[in-house]
Amino acid sequence: MRVLLAIWAAKAAAAGLRLLGRAGTHVPGLIARTIHPGIIGAIRHPARVVVVTGTNGKTTVSNLLAEALEGEGLRVASNRNGSNLAAGVAATLIGAVSWTGRSRADIGVFEMDERSARLVLPGLRPDVLVGMNLTRDSIKRNAHPAYIAWIVSSALSTETTLVLNADDLIISSLGEELNERVFFAVDRLPTDGDRPTGAAVDVAICPVCDHVLDWDYWRFNHIGKVRCSNCHFQSPEALYRATAVDGDRVTLSLDGDTRDAHLINDSVVNIYNEVAVAAALDVLGIERDRIIAAFDRIQPPTTRFDTDQVGQTRVVRILTKGLVGVACSRAFDYLRSFAGRKAVVLTIDEVSERTTEVENIAWTYDADYAYLADDSIGQIIVGGVRRHDQALRLAIAGVDPARIVTVENEIAAAETIGLDDVDIVFNLHSVHNAVITGTPVQRRLLERLGRRA
Amino acid sequence: MIIEMLYPEIANLHGDNANIDYLAQCRPDARIVRTSLTDTPAFVSEKVDLVYLGPLTEQGQLKAVERLRPHRGRIEALIEAGTTFLFTHNALEVLGSRIRNIEMDYDLPAVGVFELESTARMFGRYSGKVMGSIAGLQHPIVGYKSQFTMVSAPDSLPGFLTADRGIGRNTHTAVEGVRRNNFIGTSLIGPLLVINPHFTRALLAQLDPDTEPVLAHESLAIAAYDSRLADFHDDRRWHPFERVSPEPQ
Repeated sequence: MRVLLAIWAAKAAAAGLRLLGRAGTHVPGLIARTIHPGIIGAIRHPARVVVVTGTNGKTTVSNLLAEALEGEGLRVASNRNGSNLAAGVAATLIGAVSWTGRSRADIGVFEMDERSARLVLPGLRPDVLVGMNLTRDSIKRNAHPAYIAWIVSSALSTETTLVLNADDLIISSLGEELNERVFFAVDRLPTDGDRPTGAAVDVAICPVCDHVLDWDYWRFNHIGKVRCSNCHFQSPEALYRATAVDGDRVTLSLDGDTRDAHLINDSVVNIYNEVAVAAALDVLGIERDRIIAAFDRIQPPTTRFDTDQVGQTRVVRILTKGLVGVACSRAFDYLRSFAGRKAVVLTIDEVSERTTEVENIAWTYDADYAYLADDSIGQIIVGGVRRHDQALRLAIAGVDPARIVTVENEIAAAETIGLDDVDIVFNLHSVHNAVITGTPVQRRLLERLGRRA
Repeated sequence: MIIEMLYPEIANLHGDNANIDYLAQCRPDARIVRTSLTDTPAFVSEKVDLVYLGPLTEQGQLKAVERLRPHRGRIEALIEAGTTFLFTHNALEVLGSRIRNIEMDYDLPAVGVFELESTARMFGRYSGKVMGSIAGLQHPIVGYKSQFTMVSAPDSLPGFLTADRGIGRNTHTAVEGVRRNNFIGTSLIGPLLVINPHFTRALLAQLDPDTEPVLAHESLAIAAYDSRLADFHDDRRWHPFERVSPEPQ
C-alpha cells in the first residue's frame, strides 16, 4: 500500500509541477522516497533495465541508447531529461508505471550519478551496467576515483552484466570476480602518446605487483592500454573496439565482426561513447545491422562548445567545468588543437563559493594548465574572484606572466582582451556562470568584432 | 638542495604535488628525487634536505605504510637530527600508530613514528577551511580540509599550527597536524606552499640558511595570498561546522 501511496503522491506532484510549467523530474522522486525510502526497489521495473554511469559520457550514452532503443520500437523509460540522482531515478520509474503500479515500459535506460550508486543499484538491480570511466571530479564530493569505484562496486548486484571501458583500469576493475563482464575500447589513435604526462594520472602502477606500468598507448589522465613487464598483468581484452577513424566514419569491431559506421562526433570522448553504445546494444541482443544503422540517425546531445565567426575572426565558446581539473584539461587540450593566433577569456570561478565560501583552488593543480603555455596564445584574460590564483596557476604552468591579465569583473574581460592579430578568441566559462558570464562575454566579443568588421 | 618525493606515482592527489613543483621553481638548482614504491628511499642512505609525501588513496596509504615501516628507525633518527619533512593530507597518518577504516574493513598499525590514530568515515567526508598561526611566522596559514579521516593524538604531541578559525586534528581541538623539530605534518589539502608564500619563504630559509630565499612569481603569489586572507577574514564565509566543538563528556 505504501508503494501505491508513494506512486500516487509523486504522480500528483509531477502533474502539479507540469501545470506550473516545470519539468518535475526530481521533486516527485524526493516525495516518493520520503514516503517509501525503498521505492526504487519496491516499484515494478521495466522488463529490462540498463544503467549508465561514470565521470564523463553517461549523459550522452544514456541518451543515445534510449534513442536507439526507441528506434527499435521499444517503449523506453529514461531520465534523459532529468535528474541522475536517486530521486530522478525514482521519478522516472514512477513515470513509467500506471496509477495502479503496472509497468508501461519495455526497457529502462538510466543515467546514474556514480556517487549515488549505493542509493540506486541495490533496489534497481539493473540487467546491464555501462561503466564509461572514473576520473577525478569534485574534490569535496568525490574525493578520488578509487573511492567512487569502491562505492559502485559495493552496490553492484552479481546478476548485473557489466559493459566496461577496458582503457580505464579503475572502472574496468568493477565486479572483477563476481560479475559477467565485457569490455570496450578505442584502439591506438594518432594523437596518443607512449607514456602518461600531465597533472592527474590515477593509474601508474601495476595493481598486482606495484611496478610502474608500460603503456601500449596513453590517451589522457589514466586512460589508455597498459601492461606490466614485471608480472605480465595487462588491460582487459576488449570485445568491442573502435579500430579506426576516418573523417565521419568509424570502424567498429563487435566481437570480431568488423563494421563501418557513421561517427557521431570526432572527439575522443564521443568515439568512446559510440563504441559503448554499440557494446551495450549488442549485449541487449539488438541485431548488428540495426546497431550500425542506428548511428546514421542518432545524435549526441548539444556539445559543450559553440562557435561564431565575425569577418576573419572566430569566437569559440567552451564549457570548462570549474572545480573539476580533468574537465578543464580536456577543454584546454581542445583549445590547443585549434590552429591560428589565439586569445583567451578565462572565467571559471565557482559561482556558489564567491560570497559565502572561499574556493579551494587545489583542483586547478589537477588540471593541465600547461596546455595554455603555448606561443600561439598571445593573451589570457582571467576574470573573477579567484583571478589572482588563476594567474599564479597559469604562471606556474609556464605561461609567460606578461601574457596574463587579471580583471575583477568577469564580463569586462570581453572589453579588455586585445583583438588585433587574433584568429580565434576563446570564451572559457564554467557551468554555473554560463548564463551570467559566458553568454554576455560571447555577445560583447561579437559586438566588438562586429564594430571592427 | 635535494628534495625527495616519496611514491609520486600513487601519492599525487588533490594538486598537492604542486608543493614540490613550486619549490623547484623557487630553487631551480634543486634536485628532485622521485622514489617509486619498489625503490628504496634515498633518505635511507644519503643526505636529503626535504622528504615529501603527498595525499594517497586509502589503498595507497596502506602501501605507503608497508613500504615505510622498515625505515621507521631511520625516519625517527632523521627527525631528531633536524631533517625537514613535509607530509600533507592523509600522508601524515602513514607515520601514525594506527589507521582504522571500518567501512573498508581494516584496522591496522601504521609506521608508528607518532602516537597518532586516524579513523575514517567513508560517508562522512569533512570539508572546511582553516586559518591558524605558527610560531615565528607573522602571517597566518590559510588552508583547507577535505578528508574522510579525523586524527587524534595526545596533547603532548606538538601541532603544526593552532587554528584560529576552523578545526584542528579533529572537531574537538584547534591543534592541527604535527610539528616535531623540522618535521611538518598537516591534514591540510592542496598546494599549501603555493597558497602560503610567506610560509614557503620561511621554509626555503630553513632548508638553506645561507641563501636568500626567492619566491617564484612572487607578486602573483602574494596577490593571491592577500586576496584569500581577506576572504578568510570575512565572517560570512565561515559556517557553524567549521569550528571546534567541546569534547563530549
